Amino acid sequence: MSPSKAMGNGVMESPMRKPAFAARVVRDWRSGDRAGLARCLIVVLTLLAVATFMTSITTGAADASLANILRWLTGEADQAMSARDRIIILDIRLPRAVLGMLVGASLAVSGVVMQGLFRNPLADPGLVGVSSGASLGAVLLIVLGDVAFGPLFAVLGFYALPFGAFLGGLATTLLLYRIATRGGQTSVATMLLAGIALGALAGAVTGVLVFIADDKQLRDLTFWGLGSLAGANWTKIAAAGPIILVSLAVVPFLARGLNAITLGEAAAYHMGIPVQRLKNIAVFSVAGATGASVAVSGGIGFVGIVVPHLLRLVIGPDHRYLLPASALLGGTLLIFADMLARTIVSPAELPIGIITAFVGAPFFLWVLLRGRSNIGL
Amino acid sequence: MIRAFDISVRLAGRQVLHGISFDAAPGAMTAIVGPNGSGKTTTLKAISGELTPSAGKVTINGRDLAGLKPWELALQRGVLPQSMVISFPFTVREIVRLGLMANSGEASAHDRIADEALEAVDLAGFSGRFYQELSGGEQQRVQLARVLCQISAPVAGGEPRYLLLDEPVSSLDIRHQLTIMRLARQFCAEGGGVIAVMHDLNLTSMFADQIIMMKAGRIRARGAPKDVLTDETMEAVFGCRMRVSVAPAHDIPFVLPQSAAI
Repeated sequence: MSPSKAMGNGVMESPMRKPAFAARVVRDWRSGDRAGLARCLIVVLTLLAVATFMTSITTGAADASLANILRWLTGEADQAMSARDRIIILDIRLPRAVLGMLVGASLAVSGVVMQGLFRNPLADPGLVGVSSGASLGAVLLIVLGDVAFGPLFAVLGFYALPFGAFLGGLATTLLLYRIATRGGQTSVATMLLAGIALGALAGAVTGVLVFIADDKQLRDLTFWGLGSLAGANWTKIAAAGPIILVSLAVVPFLARGLNAITLGEAAAYHMGIPVQRLKNIAVFSVAGATGASVAVSGGIGFVGIVVPHLLRLVIGPDHRYLLPASALLGGTLLIFADMLARTIVSPAELPIGIITAFVGAPFFLWVLLRGRSNIGL
Repeated sequence: MIRAFDISVRLAGRQVLHGISFDAAPGAMTAIVGPNGSGKTTTLKAISGELTPSAGKVTINGRDLAGLKPWELALQRGVLPQSMVISFPFTVREIVRLGLMANSGEASAHDRIADEALEAVDLAGFSGRFYQELSGGEQQRVQLARVLCQISAPVAGGEPRYLLLDEPVSSLDIRHQLTIMRLARQFCAEGGGVIAVMHDLNLTSMFADQIIMMKAGRIRARGAPKDVLTDETMEAVFGCRMRVSVAPAHDIPFVLPQSAAI
C-alpha cells in the first residue's frame, strides 16, 4: 500500500517538478544568467569523470573487467581476479588514472587562473614558458642536485623534484608578469612574445644541463621527461599530489576576484578586491599546479587552453563555475587521451603530448582566427 | 563629503598634479572640466584610491583614504572608468551582477537590483546579450549599471555614498546623455554625491552644482557654473577666444540639451 502510494506521488509530481527546474534554467539562460546551466554541467561532468575513470582502469591489454573488480572488492569471490590482474589494476592502471586526473585538472585550472590573471584566453602555462621554466627547475635538481642542492634533497626527499619545478614555474611566472604588465595593464603581445623568449631561454639552459649530465643523470632525465603518464606510480602521486591538491584547493577562493579582474585591475580594486594579494596567490597556485604536473608527467600541452575555452563557450567566464568544471573536464580529457595513447598502437605507446598537441594546436589556431577582435591582439 | 587636501601626483617621474584641494559635498554634483591632459582623470584616480598621491591626502566621510581597505572603500563609492576591453564572453547580466559582489543579501534581491540598474540606464531587455557585441555607448551604460549595483542606495547606514564618473556620457547619443545626467542628478537629490569628469560644457552647466576647472595639473577656477564658465576662463584655460551665452547667427541651427522637453 505505502510503496504504491509513494510511487503514485512520484509519478504525479515529477512531470510538474522537472519541467519547472528545466524551465527555470532556460529562463535564466535567456536573461543572461548561466549559473543554473553551469551547475547542471558540473553534475554531468562529475558523472563523466567517474565513468571515464572506471573505464580507464578496466581498459588495457590484460583482462580485468569492472565486474571482476567489483566482485573482488566486495569479497564475493576472491578468485575472480588473479594476482597478476590485481597488480595490473592497483599498481599500474589505478595510479595512472589518478595521476591523469590530478595532472589534467591542474593543467586546466592553471590555464583558467593564468587566463584570468592576464585577462586573455590565450594565456597558458605551456604556451608562455611557465612549463619550460618548471622543467628547467626539475632538470637543474636532477643534474646539479648532488653538487649544489644536497641538503635540499636531504630535507625534501622525493618532494625535491616537484619543488624544484614549482620554483622554476614560479620564477618564470613572476618574470613574465613583470615584463608584460605595466601600470596594471597587460600587453598580450608582450606577454606571448616574452613567453616565447623565456621558454626558449629555459630550454637552452636545460639543453646545457643535459649536455653536461652524466650517464645516470641522463637516464633519470629520460625517464622523467617522457611527457606522458606512462611512468605513473604511487611514489610520483605521493610527491606531486599534495602540491597539486593544495593549489587546487586555494583557487576557488580566487574565483570572485578573478571575475572582477576581467574588467581590469583598477576596476577590480574599485569593486573592493585586494588586487595585489589576489595576483600573488594566483601566481603561486599556477606555479604550484604547473610545476608539480610538469615534475611528474613532463610537458603536456594545450589542455590549459582547450578545456577552459570550450567551457566558456557553454557556461560563460564566471570563475565560480569555470574552475570546478575545468578541473573535471581537464582530468577526464587527460585520462581519455591516455587511454588512446596506450591503445591505438598497442602494445606500444604514444606519448600523450602528441595526442593533446594534435587536438590542441588546430583548436588554438581556430580560437585565434575566430576571436581575433575579441582577444586584444 | 569627499575632500582633497593639497594633493600632488607624480607619474613616471613627472609631476602631473600640483596641490589640488577641493570639497565635494553630498547632495551636489561636482564636475571636473579642462583641456586634454590637464589632470582631470588623474585627479579622479587619486580620489578613488587608485593612485596614491605623493603629497597631500584625501578623505571620504571624514576618513583618510590611505587607511581604508579596498572592500571598505567599495561600500562607499563606485567608480566608472573611461572605457574597458573585456576579452571574455560575459553577458550583460553577468557584468552588471559583478557590481553586487560587495553586497551581501539574497539572490532574489540581487536579481531585482540588477534589473532596476539596467532599467535606469535604459537597457531593460539587454540582460541576455553579450557585452562584446554591444556598441560603445551601450557598453558604457552597462558599466554604469554595474556601478549602480555596487552603490545601489545613495545613503547607507546614515552616511552618503559617492559615484565617481570618468566621462560618463562621452560615447552616448543626446537622449542617453540626458538620461544619465538626470540619473546622476537624482542620485544627488537622494543624498549621495557625484564627481564627474566632463567634456560637454553645456551639459555641465545644466547639471553641475560645482565646476572645477583644471589646467596643467592645477585648479584654475572653482565654483558655480555661472561663475566659472566665463569669457575669461574659456580663453585662459582652453586657449580659445570665445563668448559664453551668445547664440550663433540665425541661419546656423544649434541644439542645446537645456531645451529638452523630456
